[in-house]
Amino acid sequence: MTAGRSLLALPMVLLLLGGAILPLAILVVISFWSVDFDAFELVPGFGLASWREVLGNPTYPYLIGKAVLTGSVTAGLTALAGYPIALSLLRVPQRWKSVALVVLMTPLYTGEIVRIYAWRLVLGTDGLVNGVLLGLHLVQVPVKVILFSPVSTILALVYDELPFMTLALWIALERLDLRLVEAARDLGARPLTAFVRVTLPMTSTGLCAGALAVFALSAGDLQTPNFLGGPTGATALASIDNFFGTAFDWPTASALALSLLFALGIVAAVASLLILRIGGGAVRTRP
Amino acid sequence: MTRRAAIVLAATAAFLYLPIAVLAVFSFNASRLMAFPLSGFTLEWYRSLAANTKFQAGFVTSFLVAQPVGILSAALGLGGALVLVSARRAVRLGLAALLMVPFLVPKTVLSIAQAMVLARFGLDRGAGTLIAAQIIVSVPFTTAIIASVLARLDPRLEEAARDLGATPWACFRRITYPQIKPAVSAAYSVGVILSLADLTIGLYLAGRTQPLSLIVASEFRRELSPDLNAMQVSVLVLTAVIVVLTEGYGRLRTARRRRTAPRSPSLARTERVA
Repeated sequence: MTAGRSLLALPMVLLLLGGAILPLAILVVISFWSVDFDAFELVPGFGLASWREVLGNPTYPYLIGKAVLTGSVTAGLTALAGYPIALSLLRVPQRWKSVALVVLMTPLYTGEIVRIYAWRLVLGTDGLVNGVLLGLHLVQVPVKVILFSPVSTILALVYDELPFMTLALWIALERLDLRLVEAARDLGARPLTAFVRVTLPMTSTGLCAGALAVFALSAGDLQTPNFLGGPTGATALASIDNFFGTAFDWPTASALALSLLFALGIVAAVASLLILRIGGGAVRTRP
Repeated sequence: MTRRAAIVLAATAAFLYLPIAVLAVFSFNASRLMAFPLSGFTLEWYRSLAANTKFQAGFVTSFLVAQPVGILSAALGLGGALVLVSARRAVRLGLAALLMVPFLVPKTVLSIAQAMVLARFGLDRGAGTLIAAQIIVSVPFTTAIIASVLARLDPRLEEAARDLGATPWACFRRITYPQIKPAVSAAYSVGVILSLADLTIGLYLAGRTQPLSLIVASEFRRELSPDLNAMQVSVLVLTAVIVVLTEGYGRLRTARRRRTAPRSPSLARTERVA
């Protein structure tokens, strides 16, 4: 490995520095500026007005907390659904595994707008769910609370992120020596005990990777709550978009965006450490 | 396969394909109202789609934007992956951390920050900025795909080629690249798919360029209509065709080269390993 070979990464590094790091740095700078609303101009300087607005107004900490909660709930639900699915995928005959992978990943090829649109057809007043409920005479009038509620947002987010979680767990499970689980069962462990004491710790890196991806993607989703959440669909991201576009208040948009990133980063880091700690025991007991 | 595993997988597939199936059913339903029970079969929505020039222009734009995104994401990802699997620990960690940024930062935040930079520097937004921003979001994926295959290669093959006097370039072209080609074409597909599926980046960075997702989003804000269903199904089918063609083309070429006499026995073996 020569130093020259490292230059191969240079185009990508430059693109990421200019296109991702620089904009985030500019966000920090602009968050201390102010806006002259008469001239409709940004005024460079060093003020804390936008930070005071974001941290002082209870709306924004609430919206940031909501983003953290949405990401955590989605990560938790996809993990609960992902383990049984990944464990079942493990039993698929080897030559069918590549087909299973395609079946799992294809729904991701649909655009975000397509998925949102399709969920409206499923959950709407005249949608599939109501059609079935009416057809079976379980309800007399269509149920209206499903669409435009937190339920529909979380359902659509779980749908969007489930393939990522399942894939991460599947890869981790393929590396697990199943004889360890069998040994635990032979020694009298119930299925759940064997899962909690053997399978879970030994796949904790996969769980961590999957949870991190799902948390970041679902907490960072603006369109799903926007189109499916109805009156409950307010998000920190929608506020940032509003400050940036409609209100032309870039400093407040920047301060809110940075606060959100900070909160998501802290929660993701702490949660990752906690998940990896589940696996700590398994690694230590290995001879 | 146990019965329980089969039931779990069938339920999963049903959940994952339910919205898509509903979409497809309504695209053939003979009623403006999208409601159950269904009213009968029609191709009217596909006919009206074929007459809609706005959608067609949007689709062409999306396709033209997705090609450079796929190609450049794969190329940049290849360069990044080669460094990621072989450089010093510090370089590797730095690169991995840098790649995490566009993956973990919400797309809305990143796009708004990019739009602010462009505005401050007085740069116009358009196809170029849209393509660059979509590449930034897809390189973490393409790099990971290619690096995961590179990491599993047998380093002795490269060492043997170098020992026998191959230049680094010849060694890459004849030994390394044939082994990772499926991963590079998979990376290209992922770049194309992420570009076609994107709405968020387009909202902030497309300028006057109007990809299909933006047109659909603005129609969708007004009302649901059956020709939108027909279009979603068409986009889905076309995306699937692109994926199948790229994957199929790669496999076909590999198969054809296997059938013809290999130039050197060692090369044939590396391909079989791949």
